[in-house]
Amino acid sequence: MNEILTFDHVSYIYHTKRDEIEALNDLSFSVREGEFVAVIGPSGCGKSTLLSLAAGLLTPSAGSVNCSGSVGYMLQRDELFPWLTIEKNIYLPLTIKHIKTKEIYERARARAVKYGLGEFLASYPFQLSGGMRQRAALIRTLASDPDVLLLDEPFSALDYQTRLNVTEDVAAILRKEKKTALLITHDISETISLADRVLVLTARPARVAHAHELMFDGVVNPLKRREMSAFSGWFEILWKELNA
Amino acid sequence: MKNTENFSQEHHKFLRARKRKSILIQCLRIGLLILLLGIWELSAACGWSDPFLTSSPSRIAKTIGSLYTEGTLFYHIGVTLAETLTGFFIAVLFGTAAALLLWWSDTLRSVLEPYIVVLNALPKIALGPLIIIWCGTGSKAIVFMTILVCIIVVIMHMLNAFIMTDQNKILLLRSMGAGKLQLLTRLVIPSSLASFISMLKVTVGMSWIGSIMGEYIVSKAGLGYLIVYGGQVFRLDLVMGATCILCSLAAIMYFCVVLLEKLLVKNTQT
Repeated sequence: MNEILTFDHVSYIYHTKRDEIEALNDLSFSVREGEFVAVIGPSGCGKSTLLSLAAGLLTPSAGSVNCSGSVGYMLQRDELFPWLTIEKNIYLPLTIKHIKTKEIYERARARAVKYGLGEFLASYPFQLSGGMRQRAALIRTLASDPDVLLLDEPFSALDYQTRLNVTEDVAAILRKEKKTALLITHDISETISLADRVLVLTARPARVAHAHELMFDGVVNPLKRREMSAFSGWFEILWKELNA
Repeated sequence: MKNTENFSQEHHKFLRARKRKSILIQCLRIGLLILLLGIWELSAACGWSDPFLTSSPSRIAKTIGSLYTEGTLFYHIGVTLAETLTGFFIAVLFGTAAALLLWWSDTLRSVLEPYIVVLNALPKIALGPLIIIWCGTGSKAIVFMTILVCIIVVIMHMLNAFIMTDQNKILLLRSMGAGKLQLLTRLVIPSSLASFISMLKVTVGMSWIGSIMGEYIVSKAGLGYLIVYGGQVFRLDLVMGATCILCSLAAIMYFCVVLLEKLLVKNTQT
């Protein structure tokens, strides 16, 4: 399979007045097309830096980041603009990219309708529940048809029940749209329930400590995975590696 | 969406109680005003206080009435209102534009920061003599004073709002490929709307301070002129009357801003 995103011996150093902080050190990995990769690591290990590098918002201090496609970023909170309707929010990546093609707007709209946002298109974000807002945020990210989705702990601001539902939601939508995704999180069970492959990072400066292919006999549904016996095995392995 | 018929008995009761409470508060407000005016009037009528020094509601009304019959009431109101509004709009316009410029350039902001701080701390009235020499003794000087009093507040308020723009939303837009101009038009300006309104509310008060202060220093007409003149010739009825008119004008201007707020800020409950 084609590698769509590659980190090649990447280091990144933050400079502040008092200090320089090495966030990433000699980090190498790649994401293949259509793959769902999760990155977990102890908190403050430079996970968000990793995504900013992948999105091209930061330039590595050493090494190189190669992405052979467009990226879409999804953040911890939905970050929907409160002064825009859901429909206008969903079109945001298109307006920013000065896309005028009518079909692309219609496709984004159709996708919103398909995933249950049809009746909310004219509503404002505050009128939607947390789960619905996060779904709208995903549909917005997908509007410009990015090749790689960068997910920065997109479920961590939701309460537990909503979180399981939204995870289910997002997984289904991403699999259906056959998207490549790079998820960063510190939630082990979320990682196991979602990813094809897991990268475990070390504490700062982050390197890849372990990498695992998660085999669940082809099951990709997060809730089903949680019920499988392999789930707890993976949990134990990742827990130990995170705390090593 | 609201269907009043579906409400339960309890809810109707709750709504009625709420309505009764708000009516009560309105009545108490008006009652308090009448009470205060009554005591004031009574104390003047019964000789508990000297109306020559404290005036009285009836004397104030009479003074305003005589200004009206002389035909100068609306002239003075018009002069002050024109000065205040001109100063207000110029300050808001140029102040906001300056804040945008300072947001745009970090270097410019750092360079000008101490100047803004000093200008903010400076009592503008100290510039009175300079303003008279530069702008003459007409309305121009008063408008200039109003602008001086308002503009720094506008700049500081708006710059703060622009800078406080949500970093995550900036990150999001940048990941979509937005440049600085798009950040400004798509995010920074719309998200600062609420701050813009609150800035207007503050500036309403500041603009009246500016124009009246200006009229104290130099004027031939206007409400500030009436107050100063009334003070000099010891006609406190005139001073109080002009002050009352000033109060109502400032209140009207404030409510215009509140009205504008209702029109603009409809959809943002978050």
